[in-house]
Amino acid sequence: MQHTFAGPDGEIEVELSKQGDEFSHQGHIARVHGERIHLTLPDGRTALAHVAKHGDVWWVHLNGHTFRWERLEPGSVSTANDGGLVAPMPGKVLEVFVKVGDTVVAGDALMVLEAMKMEHRIVAVHDGLVTAVHFGANEQVVQGAALLEIEESN
Amino acid sequence: MSIKVLVANRGEIACRVLRACTEAGHPTVAVCAANDQGSLFTELADETVVLNGDSIATTYLDTQQILQAARSTGASAVHPGFGFLSERADFARAVSEAGLIWIGPSPEAIERMGDKMTARQTMRNAGVPVIPGEEVEEEDEASALVALREASNRVGYPLLLKASSGGGGKGMRAVHRPEDFDQAAAGARREAVAAFGDGRIYIERLLSGSKHIEIQVLADQHGRTVHLGERECSVQRRHQKVFEEAPGPTMTPELREAMGQAAVAAAKAVNYVGAGTVEFLLAPTGEFFFLEMNTRIQVEHPVTELVTGVDIVREQLRIAQGEPMSCGDLFLRGHAIEVRLYAEDAANGFLPSIGPLLVFRPPEGPGIRLDTGVREGDAVTPDYDPMLAKLIVWAPSRDEALEKMRRALDDFVVLGTTTNLRFLRELCDAEEVVAGTTTTTTIDDRWPNGWKPHVEESTLIASLLAASTAETAGMHRAHATGSAPTGDIAPNPFTTLSRRFP
Repeated sequence: MQHTFAGPDGEIEVELSKQGDEFSHQGHIARVHGERIHLTLPDGRTALAHVAKHGDVWWVHLNGHTFRWERLEPGSVSTANDGGLVAPMPGKVLEVFVKVGDTVVAGDALMVLEAMKMEHRIVAVHDGLVTAVHFGANEQVVQGAALLEIEESN
Repeated sequence: MSIKVLVANRGEIACRVLRACTEAGHPTVAVCAANDQGSLFTELADETVVLNGDSIATTYLDTQQILQAARSTGASAVHPGFGFLSERADFARAVSEAGLIWIGPSPEAIERMGDKMTARQTMRNAGVPVIPGEEVEEEDEASALVALREASNRVGYPLLLKASSGGGGKGMRAVHRPEDFDQAAAGARREAVAAFGDGRIYIERLLSGSKHIEIQVLADQHGRTVHLGERECSVQRRHQKVFEEAPGPTMTPELREAMGQAAVAAAKAVNYVGAGTVEFLLAPTGEFFFLEMNTRIQVEHPVTELVTGVDIVREQLRIAQGEPMSCGDLFLRGHAIEVRLYAEDAANGFLPSIGPLLVFRPPEGPGIRLDTGVREGDAVTPDYDPMLAKLIVWAPSRDEALEKMRRALDDFVVLGTTTNLRFLRELCDAEEVVAGTTTTTTIDDRWPNGWKPHVEESTLIASLLAASTAETAGMHRAHATGSAPTGDIAPNPFTTLSRRFP
């Protein structure tokens, strides 16, 4: 069985083998126990994973880490951010510092967003050219809304 | 004597106070906004009054509605918790004038400490050292900005802009270069106006390399004012504390005594009654400076409770009833650490996050305390503060407390909402934390380009295997929350299934 997930560093494919009630991938073995998964790592260590699904996202807790794997249906495209800067949560745009055509360097302040009673600065993550600004000051934004787009310079 | 206590707060601190009241045999009343109906704290109260209104200003900050709730339920006392109305002198006054017991200091003490600029002046007069800086009284935006700019040249860089009515990092900006000053001052003013309705800003020299040390004080109505030792809360991100401990890892008995006496002097200067916290900056030179006094119970009070054995909220109730406080001489035992679990993306500039708490499984075991206002099945919404819980551990020594905290954080499972759990866990391994040499800039110094989790390759593969296995085995179909809405808006907490009760 093959599954594709989108994570913080892009898409990852997982080739899952099943033998009896054991699942395996790259030398790691998994067994389902109720709502938990017992794992055996290649070096023989065992680990306990807690999992829960919300929408298309599998949340996995393991060894003190929490992972967020968005499952991609075969043929679908990830909704993950592709260079555009998205609002991390609902809020209001307070200030916009750039306009279309501006060149920015990584770390430049692009926008100030107010959410949860705090101001959040949206900064350029890489050097580039501003190709679109989707919101102006005092406009409300919903979570996941693309705020502006920056074409990465090489 | 029994009093009926209305708790004018929500979430974690409302739970803490309601439980203390129940233990003391006092009946309780909760007030809540419509979107908090069914929250944990409303289930802990004997009665709940739903406040009309669709914003914080028209619910938890509406003094008239809250006083009306007290009247209609026959409450005889009001506990404000922290935040919201806890440091509003007009509310304290209105509560007293309505014939109710105000569980806190007098309105006069709140006023003199609450306005940070007045507090600096009061402390200066009481002989308590304050940070070099300047107060700017201008109310008008344009002239205030001009006056601030002039003051900034006299104070010197780096400096800190602070809202006179501020707290919780709101309306606060560090400015390192004169060319950044205007933008920072305008931003601080705007945030202060939005959060407190008061845009007055003052300037302090930014004392880098300093520790944030605060002293817990208790004062009763029988003339006794004591301190309960210090808490170190140096580790902050965006001026909000995330890691607190007691006692301070570099504290000496002599310094504790000196700071304790300064804190007691500060409290006495405003005839303080109840529980309060005097915050100081401890410079690398060993000098300490008054920062501010918080005239309320503080978020990190549990670490003091664990090392002193004093139930501070219970003492607040006793003192408010006019009884003498029950605690004796200061005796510190072992070491306590608290971390604040926030719904935030630590790997993405600590931006707040929202979502359902599909799984919320706190750690257990001896020496572990969890103060929270949520449970599995609840949702984190953008309506309120993103703090989900405080995890507190106690152990005989600091090293053992850190070991226990690491284990507790590893065992803490929160699925469905991004939290700072991993950040807190890696913080426990940071050299400065292990050595106890943290300062208020430790997080920025250690992770100047932001924090990213360190994940072992094998753990990453195992997590993908777990997700694939869960998908193939159809575990989401067995799980009740699998039917939760899939939109980008957090589910309404009242439609979420598999809720766990207290």
